[in-house]
Amino acid sequence: MATLASPLAASPEGSALPNFESEAYKDAYSRINAIVIEGEQEAHDNYVAIGTLLPDQAEELTRLARMELKHMKGFTACAANLGVTADMPFAQDFFAPLRNNFQAALAEGKVVTCLLIQAILIEAFAISAYHIYIPVADPFARKITEGVVKDEYTHLNYGQEWLKANLDSIREEFEQANRDNLPLVRTMLDQVAADAAVLHMDKEDLMADFLSSYQEALLEIGFTGREIARFAAAALVG
Amino acid sequence: MFGLIGHSTSFAEARANARNLGYDDYAEGDLDMWCAAPPQLLERVSVTSPTGTTIHGAYIDSVFVPEMLRRFKTAKRKVLKAMELAQKSGIDITALGGFTSIIFEDMNLLKEERVSAVQLDWQRFTTGNTHTAWVICQQVVHNAPRLGIDLASAKVAVVGASGDIGSAVCRWLQRQGVGELLLVARRPQPLIDLQASLGEGRILALDEALAEAQVVVWVASLPESLQIDLAALPRPCLMIDGGYPKNLNSKAEATDVHVLKGGIVEFWQDIGWQMMEVAEMAKPQRQMFACFAEAMLLDFEQRHTNFSWGRNNISLEAMDWIGDASRRHGFRALALEDQPAAAAALAPA
Repeated sequence: MATLASPLAASPEGSALPNFESEAYKDAYSRINAIVIEGEQEAHDNYVAIGTLLPDQAEELTRLARMELKHMKGFTACAANLGVTADMPFAQDFFAPLRNNFQAALAEGKVVTCLLIQAILIEAFAISAYHIYIPVADPFARKITEGVVKDEYTHLNYGQEWLKANLDSIREEFEQANRDNLPLVRTMLDQVAADAAVLHMDKEDLMADFLSSYQEALLEIGFTGREIARFAAAALVG
Repeated sequence: MFGLIGHSTSFAEARANARNLGYDDYAEGDLDMWCAAPPQLLERVSVTSPTGTTIHGAYIDSVFVPEMLRRFKTAKRKVLKAMELAQKSGIDITALGGFTSIIFEDMNLLKEERVSAVQLDWQRFTTGNTHTAWVICQQVVHNAPRLGIDLASAKVAVVGASGDIGSAVCRWLQRQGVGELLLVARRPQPLIDLQASLGEGRILALDEALAEAQVVVWVASLPESLQIDLAALPRPCLMIDGGYPKNLNSKAEATDVHVLKGGIVEFWQDIGWQMMEVAEMAKPQRQMFACFAEAMLLDFEQRHTNFSWGRNNISLEAMDWIGDASRRHGFRALALEDQPAAAAALAPA
């Protein structure tokens, strides 16, 4: 349907590539890249830890964990390629709230909470961020990231499948864990929005893509659209 | 399986709808939250044709509202994400409703087929414009004589003539035979091309065309600021409001000026869905946009292909085919007598 007064008459903005050599880019990249490296390292540690709660799955989880280490090495190479030193202390602080929640749940043997944090929230966030990053990445990092994205889908599936199989017994813990941790994702996003913008990654795009992945995972687990909207609102409203 | 992608007509309405549908938390959210919210598959329905064939479908709300039109990236993402959800849900043919198809065309989203990990398969989507164009033509042919307008001698203006639907309507009316086609659109060159391809028709400015036409087909929405000089209109005058959003009624209220909602069809029986109440249909259980009905028709006919796609590809053969299917499966075009106000005007004085 065409409109006489087309509201879209102006052409949409092009998403030109950033200047990868600029100091501003490298500065922002030092933190974003560190987050990615730290995220992959923690993912490795988290999957190994979840294996201690689910001994019969330990082998599969170790395989996933090894994959994360491979990703970490790939992203480390991306920084080296640009001549950037990753700001690891920043990244460790960045992950501290989620890490603390994960460790607390682990100590209490709360496998549902651990899976929600690592296999749903962190994975959905990583996949979305990688998707948004790929079109604006430097050629070297683009190739690495595309390979990683393919792997990450298998992780999201892992958490989904386990939670789906146990849906009836997990609802209460899942809802509480979601309430406790989903808002952290938004806070973390706000924290890196300015650096992400330097890399031409838009905050709204990141949030929207994250919510899509999150919704998709929860639908697959067996929650309804209305339940998911209620869960998601914990991150969005306010 | 067929799919319909739609959206609310305003942010305020979207929030009210969210509350009615049990999405209370979204109802509380602000526009920024709505911009980031993913599309929702809201309803599944089964529809049975008079032939006895039953098809199944789903309604997807893109969680787009017109207030987002100025946010290009958001608008673009909303459309693509809704299409992605349709495809992932296993829907064979999905119609793009409301602003969705406008955004798709105007932003040239064909270039953007890759969303996240999903490669969009264009064969699964249709703009529904072929059926919309056919329905608008039926509305002209059925309703003009009821107002005493003899189409064979009448001047028919098409506003938005060079667009996808407009050009198809011109070609169909030419074959049907009308007194004269008056061609109106924003940009001159496509109009000149259309006139050359038709081998007839007079290009006019909007106000010039309105001063002469007994029938006006609007397939473009009116700018908010536009005023129609009601005194200059010939009487009687039939106006088919085929644009989106439909805002002609308030601008063209006058004696013997009859405004009919264009591109709307009524199904032969109740469907048992909630979604057309959102679209403010007079009979939401039976009435819907013709573009949505096109997805149903393609599913009834097991013709799972992007039947209406791209600009100015609508052929008379395609209109005839979809028209036959439309009749066979129990749809008819909305008529003046279906609209209470217009029906009253039709009654003898």
